[in-house]
Amino acid sequence: MTREQRLKKRYTAEKRFRLMGIGAIAIAIFFVFLLLLKVFSTGSTAFVKTTIQTEVDFNKELLELKDVANPNIEQIKSAEFFDVTYKAATGLFPYSNAEEEKDVKQLLSGNYELEIKNYLINNPDALGKKVMIDLTASDDLDQLHKGNFPRDIPEDRRRLNNFQLNIYDNLLEQGKIKTVFSNYFLFSGDSRDPEIAGVAGAIIGSFFSIIICLIISFPIALMAAVYLEEFAPKNIVTDIIEININNLAAVPSIVFGLLGLGMLLGVFGLPRSTALVGGITLSLMTLPTIIIACRASLKAVPPSIREGALAVGASKVQTVMHHVVPLAMPGTLSGTIIGLAQALGETAPLLLIGMVAFVVDVPSVPTDPSTSLPVQIYLWSESAERGFVEKTSATIMLLIGFLIIMNSLAVWARQKFERKW
Amino acid sequence: MKNKIKAKGVSVFYGEKQALFDVDLNVAEKQVTALIGPSGCGKSTFLRCLNRMNDVIDICKVSGVIEIDGENIYDKSVDVVQLRERVGMVFQKPNPFPKSIYENVSYGPDIHGIAKDKNHMDEIVENSLKQAALWDEVKDRLDEPGTGLSGGQQQRLCIARAISINPEVILMDEPCSALDPIATAKIETLIDELKSLYTIAIVTHSMSQAARVSQYTGFFHLGKLIEFNTTDKLFKNPDNKMTQDYITGRFG
Ligand SMILES: Nc1ncnc2c1ncn2[C@@H]1O[C@H](COP(=O)(O)OP(=O)(O)OP(=O)(O)O)[C@@H](O)[C@H]1O
Ligand SMILES: [Mg+2]
Repeated sequence: MTREQRLKKRYTAEKRFRLMGIGAIAIAIFFVFLLLLKVFSTGSTAFVKTTIQTEVDFNKELLELKDVANPNIEQIKSAEFFDVTYKAATGLFPYSNAEEEKDVKQLLSGNYELEIKNYLINNPDALGKKVMIDLTASDDLDQLHKGNFPRDIPEDRRRLNNFQLNIYDNLLEQGKIKTVFSNYFLFSGDSRDPEIAGVAGAIIGSFFSIIICLIISFPIALMAAVYLEEFAPKNIVTDIIEININNLAAVPSIVFGLLGLGMLLGVFGLPRSTALVGGITLSLMTLPTIIIACRASLKAVPPSIREGALAVGASKVQTVMHHVVPLAMPGTLSGTIIGLAQALGETAPLLLIGMVAFVVDVPSVPTDPSTSLPVQIYLWSESAERGFVEKTSATIMLLIGFLIIMNSLAVWARQKFERKW
Repeated sequence: MKNKIKAKGVSVFYGEKQALFDVDLNVAEKQVTALIGPSGCGKSTFLRCLNRMNDVIDICKVSGVIEIDGENIYDKSVDVVQLRERVGMVFQKPNPFPKSIYENVSYGPDIHGIAKDKNHMDEIVENSLKQAALWDEVKDRLDEPGTGLSGGQQQRLCIARAISINPEVILMDEPCSALDPIATAKIETLIDELKSLYTIAIVTHSMSQAARVSQYTGFFHLGKLIEFNTTDKLFKNPDNKMTQDYITGRFG
């Protein structure tokens, strides 16, 4: 081969290598894009809901407040709303029999009575007046309005019958059907009715779990890493410990769920389905990951810094605490955040400790029953109603969003605290 | 001349491998003692025995006796931290802490509680930097990171750090190996000045440096101390044939 040929061969090899790299990245980006596209296109409608403008007559007689001159909030709260709400719902459209009456009422969400009541509590002036209120529509009407239900299939295979479609068209024409930001999705707990189900419970549950996981795993992992890296003698015992830690990091997460089930619920009797148990279980799972990250960043601190400190008469503990640990901070912090992000997306262990329960109330303390974001995704993806499909995707969007925030935080922490030496 | 450090029968093993063989060597008080020899002959190993820096290395085992002021530093009753307060060290590669220049110097006095108050600490920092001939260059930027200085300045900062706790002995392991001739000259002058206050032991690869700064020189070869003499005698008229060959550049 001549010089020229060799040069040409080298150039083509380099070009091929670069193309292969670009191709690999392009494929990866394509799949991420596909995932995001799918999730966003189905999920974005979950953030809005459909409402029906309904006339409500806050008649004092119907409310049984006729004898009270100036009713206060307490009295309004304990008033009788049945007739008012019934009249409002059935007044949406004229009907001729009991069957049709039910059809009309079913156009509103299961929560419409509460919505009417809350309206009056927030606007006591409306007492005795007729007002127009935008009430949340039922899941079926919501899905129809969002275009997820085809209308051209036979009536018996449709969720809405011809009479109801007729009402819908009528209301739409009158401009009474609106699409507004959904106050339910982000701010309320789970529900059997998709139109009023929300992720607030799952978000708070995840938040509590992650905080508990952080409180438990960071100090323990840092101490373990510092001891193993800086103080422990290098012998067969520490070798075995090291192998075991690496092994634990690779153990399937469901095993930690079994451990949580057996130990935390079984032996210690902690309350089941709670973020407390979830957080402890997740910390068992993330400990090895964080220990490994902390050890790697401690190892990356140059030995010359340790020698410098020891040579001016710093003790071993002073050397480690004043110099090594602060210098390893960027690595330990970002390792911890990445471990927590992993815990945030974890489902299997939480299923085992009962965080898969159907919880309507948003938890206010870690010992309240709750779910978490990934478990909520799992729960909703199993549900039959069409309305949960968009909720599932929207929850995935939220989870991805939180993961992006945490991973950016990890990058930021690394850069912020990075020191040159 | 009084001997500050007396090493008797010092042998060092790194695991199975013996790095020093039965070394006897004395370091005279308030003088500069140079250790020379080809690479890998155990100069650093010997120097690190003097402040028990080898304790850090798990596989390193030291036997023999090293006395400082008549006290065996390998005795069980000796506290390593107190020993290193008395025996400071400057390393081959400058290793300032990634902290401010001020903190680099104040760290030692701080952990040993030497400074009475903030003013006293300022004084110690200023004096140490002056002794290390660095004060004029850094006095306006004491809160800048020590790692932002030039290599020669960093090494002088490390010398300032070593003398900040007022040690009795300063060990220097090739302190000029990373420096240009001008910085080297500065540090050599510095060593000459420091010897009125401290006992100094220095490892160097430069024969001329040993000749310039030291009063005594030990020549090591393959872990053995081949010859120990006054610098004058060792360079002009060595007793040993091997020393003769080494200083004239015939091997090593
Ligand atoms: N940490 C260590 N572990 C194992 N062996 C070591 C260690 N440090 C030094 N040695 C060995 O001990 C011997 C002496 O090393 P030492 O560093 O004292 O040499 P030196 O004279 O300082 O060399 P140089 O001039 O190149 O710095 C060498 O053979 C080296 O391989
Ligand atoms: Mg050396």
